[in-house]
Amino acid sequence: MDTILQLLALIAVITGTFFSVVGVVGLVRLPDVYTRLHATGKVGVFGVVLLLVAAVLWAPLGWGKALLLIVLLMVAGPVTAHAIASAAYRLGIPMKDAVRDDLESERKKME
Amino acid sequence: MATILITTLYISLTIHIFLIGIAVWRVWRGENSIDRLISTDLVTTLMLAVLVLISLILRDSIYIDVALGLGALSFIGTVALAKFLADEKMF
Repeated sequence: MDTILQLLALIAVITGTFFSVVGVVGLVRLPDVYTRLHATGKVGVFGVVLLLVAAVLWAPLGWGKALLLIVLLMVAGPVTAHAIASAAYRLGIPMKDAVRDDLESERKKME
Repeated sequence: MATILITTLYISLTIHIFLIGIAVWRVWRGENSIDRLISTDLVTTLMLAVLVLISLILRDSIYIDVALGLGALSFIGTVALAKFLADEKMF
C-alpha cells in the first residue's frame, strides 16, 4: 500500500515541477502582459496543487491542511489573475498583435 | 521506492529555487509596473511550492500551515496592489 502511495506522489511531484517550469518559461518568453498572466496562472494552480496532492498522499497526518490549501489555491488563482488583468486593461497597456478586443466599447465609454 | 521519491523531491526543490531566481530577474527587468506585479505574484507562488516541498522532505506538516498563511497573504497583497495600480487609490 505504501509503495503505491509513494509512486503516485512521485508522479504528482514530477508533473507539478513540469508545470512550474512551463509557467516560468511562459512568463519569460511571452510577448505582452496579458499572455504572461496566462502563463503564471498555470504555475499557481497546476504546479503547487499537484505538489499538494503529493503531500496529501505521502505526508503523515497533514492531509486535511493540504486539502484546505488546495481549495484556497483553486479559488485564489483565477481571482488574482482577473484582478491583475483588469488593472492592466484599465491602465491602458496595449495588447501585442491582438486579434479582437471585446472591451473596446467599454474603453470608448470610459474616455 | 522512498529514496527515489526523496531524490526527486530534492531535484524538484533545486528546480523551484532556480525558477525563483528567474522570476526575480523578471521582476527587475519588467517593462511596466503590472509586469513587476505579475512576477512578484509568481515569486510568492513558487515560494509556496518550495514550502510544500520542504514539508514533504522533512515529513513535517507544520510547513503546510506556513504555506497556507503565505498563500492567503500573497493573494490579498496582489489583489490590493493591482487595484492600487489601476485606480491610484486603495479603497
